[in-house]
Amino acid sequence: MAALKESDLRLFVDSVRRYFDVTSRIAPEITSAFLGVGTLPGHDFNGIVRFSGRFIGHVIVSLPAAALKELLLIQRETNLSQANLLDAVGEIANTLAGNARKTLGKDLEISVPTVVHGRSSGDTRTRAHPYVITFRWNTYPGMVCVDLAEVG
Amino acid sequence: MSSMKLLVVDDSNIVRSRIARVVQSGALGEVTLIGLARNGEEALRAARHAAPDVVTMDLTMPEMDGLECIPALLALHPKTRILVISALDDKSTAIRALRLGAHGFLPKPFSDDSLQLALTGLLDHQS
Repeated sequence: MAALKESDLRLFVDSVRRYFDVTSRIAPEITSAFLGVGTLPGHDFNGIVRFSGRFIGHVIVSLPAAALKELLLIQRETNLSQANLLDAVGEIANTLAGNARKTLGKDLEISVPTVVHGRSSGDTRTRAHPYVITFRWNTYPGMVCVDLAEVG
Repeated sequence: MSSMKLLVVDDSNIVRSRIARVVQSGALGEVTLIGLARNGEEALRAARHAAPDVVTMDLTMPEMDGLECIPALLALHPKTRILVISALDDKSTAIRALRLGAHGFLPKPFSDDSLQLALTGLLDHQS
């Protein structure tokens, strides 16, 4: 299985920027991008989208509750229940994964998002060292883990 | 002129609520929200109950996805206009949705302004 190319990873960085910029008009600052080793620097709310087809693996979006509450309030959403926070992080994961298909190809199949409250164990890894992107949006930290490998 | 009837279809509660808020803000004129559906099957049930003039349709959804729902919904109500709102923003997906009968495509993420613009275009065409 071939690893993602750096240009492929770039599309996730651009998608993170675009998501927050469009939905909140506050652009995030990308603080680091590295190959993950051991426990990932995740947060309490996690959205996971799985890939199959030309690529296998998954993308995890991880944010603290405070960031999701702020994002919803900016969108004039007043229901800040745990269910809605999970829905929000799942929707972010869904959007980043869906946008990735433009670059990674239409043969990429994308699952509906699953959501997890509580620190994610990093899911079952496809690659020993997945790509990790950390960012800061509106003072809050966030993380995206891109664990994908090209089939064949 | 009678009020336009809008059905919102998306598996995300926050997206459904957001679209509903834009519609209920009055920015689009006389539009009545007739339902919020979480997948294609719920959309078809709602459409059998009341014919929508305009539908916002997500693509990636459990049970029945948007690409399956579009032709089924148009078979029920051929004059309904459908705006696809999806993160699957690659050209081939957009073309496939349009060939199935959708009338517009708004990629996610979207701003309230872009949603208003896209819906206004569809509503103007419908009236």
